[in-house]
Amino acid sequence: MKPRRLLVLMVVAAAARLAWSQESDDRLATFFMGRIQYGRNMGSDCGGVGQDLLKLVSRASTIKIQDERKVKLVGEELFDTPFVFMNGHNDFVLTEAELANLQKYFSHGGFMLSSGCCTNPAYPAAWRREFSRVFPNERVKPLSYDHLIYRTFYKIERVRCLHESRDIHLEGLFYQGNLVAVMCEEGLCCAFSANNSCNRGKGISPEDGQRLALNIAVYALTH
Amino acid sequence: MTARILFDFPPGWQLGLPLVAAMLVLAWRSLRGRGLGRGAASVFCGFRAVALLVLVFLAARPVWVAKDEEAKNTPKSAVLLLDRSESMSLEENGETRYAQAMAFTRERLLPALHAASLNVHPLLFAEDAEVATGNQAASAQPNGRRTNLGGAIARGLATVTGRPLAVIAITDGVANESADNARAFAALADAGVPFIGVGVGNDRGVQTLMLRRAEAPPVAAPNAAFTVTAQLEMMNAEAMPPFDLALLRDGRLQQTKTVNAGKGSRFWQETFRVLEKDAGVHNYALQLMPPSVPGLKCVETQAATTVRISSEKELRVLYVQGALTWDYKFIGLALRGDPAIKLTGLTRTSSKSVFRQNVESAGELLGGFPTMLEELAPYRVVVISNLRPADLNPAQQELLVRFCGELGGGVLMIGGADTFDSSWQSSRLEQMLPVMFSTDRGVRGLDRPFHLQVSDEALQHPVFQIRDDRPSRDVWAQLPAFTHYSRVDSAKAGAQVWAVHQEDQGPAGRRILMAAQRYGAGQSAVICVQNFWRWRLAKDCESPYFDRFWRQLFRFLGESGRQDVAIHFISQDLRPRSDVRVVLERQPNPKNIAQAAGKFLVRVEGGDKAIVHEQVVDLAPARPVDLVFRAEKEGLYTVTVLDAMKHAVANRSLEIRDINVELQQTARNMEGLRQWAALSDGLAVKLEDCRDDGGLVNTIRSKIEQVRRNRVLRRPVGVNGWMLALTAGCLGAEWILRKRFGLS
Repeated sequence: MKPRRLLVLMVVAAAARLAWSQESDDRLATFFMGRIQYGRNMGSDCGGVGQDLLKLVSRASTIKIQDERKVKLVGEELFDTPFVFMNGHNDFVLTEAELANLQKYFSHGGFMLSSGCCTNPAYPAAWRREFSRVFPNERVKPLSYDHLIYRTFYKIERVRCLHESRDIHLEGLFYQGNLVAVMCEEGLCCAFSANNSCNRGKGISPEDGQRLALNIAVYALTH
Repeated sequence: MTARILFDFPPGWQLGLPLVAAMLVLAWRSLRGRGLGRGAASVFCGFRAVALLVLVFLAARPVWVAKDEEAKNTPKSAVLLLDRSESMSLEENGETRYAQAMAFTRERLLPALHAASLNVHPLLFAEDAEVATGNQAASAQPNGRRTNLGGAIARGLATVTGRPLAVIAITDGVANESADNARAFAALADAGVPFIGVGVGNDRGVQTLMLRRAEAPPVAAPNAAFTVTAQLEMMNAEAMPPFDLALLRDGRLQQTKTVNAGKGSRFWQETFRVLEKDAGVHNYALQLMPPSVPGLKCVETQAATTVRISSEKELRVLYVQGALTWDYKFIGLALRGDPAIKLTGLTRTSSKSVFRQNVESAGELLGGFPTMLEELAPYRVVVISNLRPADLNPAQQELLVRFCGELGGGVLMIGGADTFDSSWQSSRLEQMLPVMFSTDRGVRGLDRPFHLQVSDEALQHPVFQIRDDRPSRDVWAQLPAFTHYSRVDSAKAGAQVWAVHQEDQGPAGRRILMAAQRYGAGQSAVICVQNFWRWRLAKDCESPYFDRFWRQLFRFLGESGRQDVAIHFISQDLRPRSDVRVVLERQPNPKNIAQAAGKFLVRVEGGDKAIVHEQVVDLAPARPVDLVFRAEKEGLYTVTVLDAMKHAVANRSLEIRDINVELQQTARNMEGLRQWAALSDGLAVKLEDCRDDGGLVNTIRSKIEQVRRNRVLRRPVGVNGWMLALTAGCLGAEWILRKRFGLS
């Protein structure tokens, strides 16, 4: 083997080793998030949202965090990830396999935070419809402000809509009385991640968005 | 000095020689009468005379004695035996006997022996003897249960290379083991070493009275009587006048009783019956009021114990975390279906803030981890997760240890990158837990997937019975792979190892992943897996098994101190070969006041776990039942009450002790020392005889010098093959001559 090739190989091996050890350290972290890939959505809407949520959590707690992972809704890796995030702009339909996996995931204790991007009504409507199919007799319903999720970290009395004169409520899916999935229709991810730059003047203010997102993460860790 | 032969048994030759002469004369006459010539008769008698004289010589036990020239060339040494038995702990004139012995040795004896150029070989002895350095002797505690002076002498002689010039023992002479005396006497005689005994203590002895321990159940129900027991010991008492024993509740006098102890030596217990109306934690202190007896020593007069009064309506678990963990969430889910278990969370969210969950009042845990036992008492289990030693200061760790050991609470340490950090090593917390921490820092490199291997012991344990329709072994075998664990080195003696790593070898076998042990009145346990929650989330696992495991684990940890049946020990002597009386009383169940009588099995086990008594009894609330068992041997006896399902509902331990032989005779025994000295040409003196001048030390020195100058070698003579051959040769030659001359 020529010396130059050998040198290249050694550099590659060292880089791989460094990367592996970095990954190993990260995996010691408590909080990690799975970014859901469903249907044709590859989990890349509002790209930085995962990182920003993790930063939020780390700012408010001593909890160790690690990078988001892409998780397929029909994949086995879903069951390694106790907290998943799902967002999108458009309508979608879940397959029977995805619904079955979700049913098992939620009944085993998994938790999902979901957000429509950029106040686009198609995604929240699809989410309500599809997630009401996960458990028989359990439909997605709004969470009133007396729910614990508004008080787990910050005490949130109400969340005002920026473009309409009304309050915004989170919506949730329950399993045996436990809240297992939460969705915000009004561009929650745009608010806490992109400083609402993609949804300017609409939806939720960045401050409310950050407080809501952190409350949801803490709720998921404690309930 | 020249060598010579001495006879140890002179009558042997004094009687034997005339007898031999008479036999030879008779033989001569007989041979001559049968027609034998003078020459032939002389030869016959000559052979016989030689054989008989050899026998007479040996019968007189001849010894070859010579000056020991070799001893001059060997290093001069002396064996120093220091008594560290418990009788040396008695105080006289403001100082223990052992302290007096040490002071004498250090200030007078050793300088004198060193001045005489003697190497000193010190040994500490009680029931055994062991070589000791000066520092070890100075720091030794006089707490040996027996005194074996003979064994110490023999060991001392065997320890020194060559023969020492003397064996010096500094002791009160109260030897209570004599099995090695003959061996020691023989060793002294063979080596020609004098025994020099220095007697410590006074000749009257010491009377002692002490309160050894206070004992009570860790948990009792409101309005249910329980007993607080004082274990008392009295030694060597002539006629002990009545004395008072007081019970103080939280520092205030609650009851007193007058005790008539009698005389002699006793180990017994006195009980106080106590009833509390309200829930809470109370400290019960016992105070012995010593009677006015001249010279009476009362080493310990106070003892205390803590009792938690609780109606046990629910089992509260305090989950303390250094940061939020998924285990907390999934354990919370597991307990959600069980209204009898309540999980309270206390999580550090930053260096200055904590997150409280499910607290019962606004002020509960507001300051973080409790700093007083009363704050911790409402919980039955404390879980520690992801905490560094800095998060729990030594006082809080001590609180946790008391919570477990005294209040019968359960403590569980579970995964988390910092929980099993090596910095916990040698901490108070580690002392309570069933494992020894590893020196490996953190958990780096331990993230390869692995499976739990559950031990057979665990599979028999009620906590691990998580399936009713099939053996639970199947469920445990199907657990998913976990990805992080913390390394601990080994299990403590008495710990139950519940699960180990499938392959990772530690210094004491496979790495422990789950273990538990009894600690005082409570239980402690560890789960070293960092992400145990994966079991519940795993796709192919059924979450009810995870949930049931956690509920059972918390019940096991939290209810070890709870007693459904109260076991009362009455006032009585606690000595071997006697009957022990126990009173059993079923506690009223607040959920079912009108409960009927039920059958319970009472099992009494000795210290070796052997069952010494088993009896089925009917127990109903407010109807106490007496039970008697025979305690043949001394040791710890455990009374366990089992319900119809064979689950233990109460247990209590009782110590049966033989009277402490060390304190039974406490007067200095100079007579024993004199006997040792007389048999070895030694010396026995009292320590106080040399207080004013160096007389004793000078006497010891001169004795050693005398021995050194006069040391002789003694060897038996004639007991060898040559003498045997000579005798046999003479008798054989006589027999041949008889044949030749036709004499029958």
